[in-house]
Amino acid sequence: MKHLKGAVPLVAIVAVAGLTACGDSDQSSTESTQADTAAHTESTAKQSPVTTVVVKNGEPVGGARELEYNEGEQVRFTVRSDVADEVHIHGYDLMKDVPAGGSVSFSFQADIEGIFEVELEEHREQIAELRVNP
Amino acid sequence: MSLLPFAHALAARQDLPVPAWLFAWGASIVLIVSFFALSVGWRAPRFEQDRWRPLGAGLSRALLALPAQIGYGLIGIFLLGLAIYAGLRGTQAPDRNFALTFLYVTAWLGFPLFSVFLGDVFRPFNPWRAVGRAVGGAFTTLAGQRPAHLRYPEWLGRWPAAIGLIAVVWLEIVYGASGGVAVGLSPHAAAVAALIYSGYTLTMMALFGVEQWCRTGEVFSVYFGMFGRLGCFGLEDGKLGVHRPFAAATRWATVPGSAAVVIASIATTSFDGAQEGAFKGAMASTFEWLVDSSFGLTSALRLTDTIFLGLCFAGVGLVYLLGVRGMASVPGAPSFKKLRDGFAHTLIPIAMAYLVAHYFSLFVFQEQAQFTYLLSDPLGTGTTDLFGTASSGIDFQLLSANAIWYVQVGALVIGHVIGLTLAHDRATAYWGDYRQAARSQYWMLAVMVAFTCFGLYLLSVANS
Repeated sequence: MKHLKGAVPLVAIVAVAGLTACGDSDQSSTESTQADTAAHTESTAKQSPVTTVVVKNGEPVGGARELEYNEGEQVRFTVRSDVADEVHIHGYDLMKDVPAGGSVSFSFQADIEGIFEVELEEHREQIAELRVNP
Repeated sequence: MSLLPFAHALAARQDLPVPAWLFAWGASIVLIVSFFALSVGWRAPRFEQDRWRPLGAGLSRALLALPAQIGYGLIGIFLLGLAIYAGLRGTQAPDRNFALTFLYVTAWLGFPLFSVFLGDVFRPFNPWRAVGRAVGGAFTTLAGQRPAHLRYPEWLGRWPAAIGLIAVVWLEIVYGASGGVAVGLSPHAAAVAALIYSGYTLTMMALFGVEQWCRTGEVFSVYFGMFGRLGCFGLEDGKLGVHRPFAAATRWATVPGSAAVVIASIATTSFDGAQEGAFKGAMASTFEWLVDSSFGLTSALRLTDTIFLGLCFAGVGLVYLLGVRGMASVPGAPSFKKLRDGFAHTLIPIAMAYLVAHYFSLFVFQEQAQFTYLLSDPLGTGTTDLFGTASSGIDFQLLSANAIWYVQVGALVIGHVIGLTLAHDRATAYWGDYRQAARSQYWMLAVMVAFTCFGLYLLSVANS
């Protein structure tokens, strides 16, 4: 059994590292997203600075915007588009139509962590990237 | 224009980069563990001798009875057929079609994950092997003699499988590009590819024999079987049994080209991870340069990806061969060729760790789709609901970002430790003198640290 001696501390180091690492993994809240997603029209969006993604000819002006939030924060942004399409936030699976020359606003809680694509569905164009940090 | 977003058409969500502090912790643990391993290593090989124990004869007979084997084969053929049918006839929305998730997530990622614990679970379900055996059996009955085969060229070894493995990944993440944007493979293209591969595989089986081709050429048998060598269950003399841990892996790389298979696995996963982070800038410049040199957008993107995929294979291979070259310089070393093949199996745990690090979250999320709406509505037409789960969705809250990070880093560290263990054990078998064996392992240690830290680095810059 002498040759086994080395393996024990090895395993111990890995196990301890694993345990301490798991200790502070937090559980995110599991409230439903879709339910409390409220549509804000442009006139009512006045609380915090709202990012506006401008779409021209079916493409985002200045490239795909990065929208970064921490878990639990309120995501707010507006899409103003010169083409009619549907805005799809992947992962959260939120979809809203935007008329040509009009705009559509989103406001919802960032309760799923990760990186998600915001896409102009018919044009298959990524217009923004939603990033939710833990 | 946004370049190279969301390479996987399936993934509605991507992983956040591993934070810097966790990267530092992971790398520190890897270094500490490695130097610790050097100082406490055992002196005689422990895994070279298998201690194979057969399971109960009744269990073995029941699981391996001919009707049972026909059943496994039929399941494999049915699922492959369903995937091809769904790909040809179903919706072309990649995430709503059974084909892509089944072929590229459930099978391509699922079999390695299960094999690494259980053994070679793909073999009984292999649809091409089942067809090949059935045809061979029918021929023997009708002709009254066993089919004759060509002699498989020894030197070719597992190279067809290594090249095929790269082709499978290339098809998914390189070919599936259009108009300068990686949109992922369409279900139709995946189904056509599966049909072509079936034709090719059955032809090769007819030429060289079913078992010979499964051992060396059939991509999925070789690739999944490689991970199965780490698993505990195995088949010997027609009986099921339990291996000594890792003992089966030490006998894996006896066929030429085996090193290329495991290197191809690490390289393709590296490429997929790096294109979202580490290589992003370089790939964007290459792409723009190719577009300026009058390449079309799609061909420029495919060419860029192909070049970097090739560079990954060359890079991973070079690091391994440098380590082998270093070992060869230690007094008492066997030949370069023997060392190259003899240490190839020590990279299998690293390949597994890379797979877990890059695809663990995709697998967990996409399998929810596989077992709910893709099963109830495989064609994605919205008109069928076989099991009443057609309107389900994926719960992306199932895994927190923290949980994913710890699994990713944990997998790399554990893979590193097992790889080092296998390499140390092999060295004690090749060098009679323990001191020289330990010296040779400075080289393999450097190789392993390089792969593990590169893996951690890829995670820390992914999507950042």
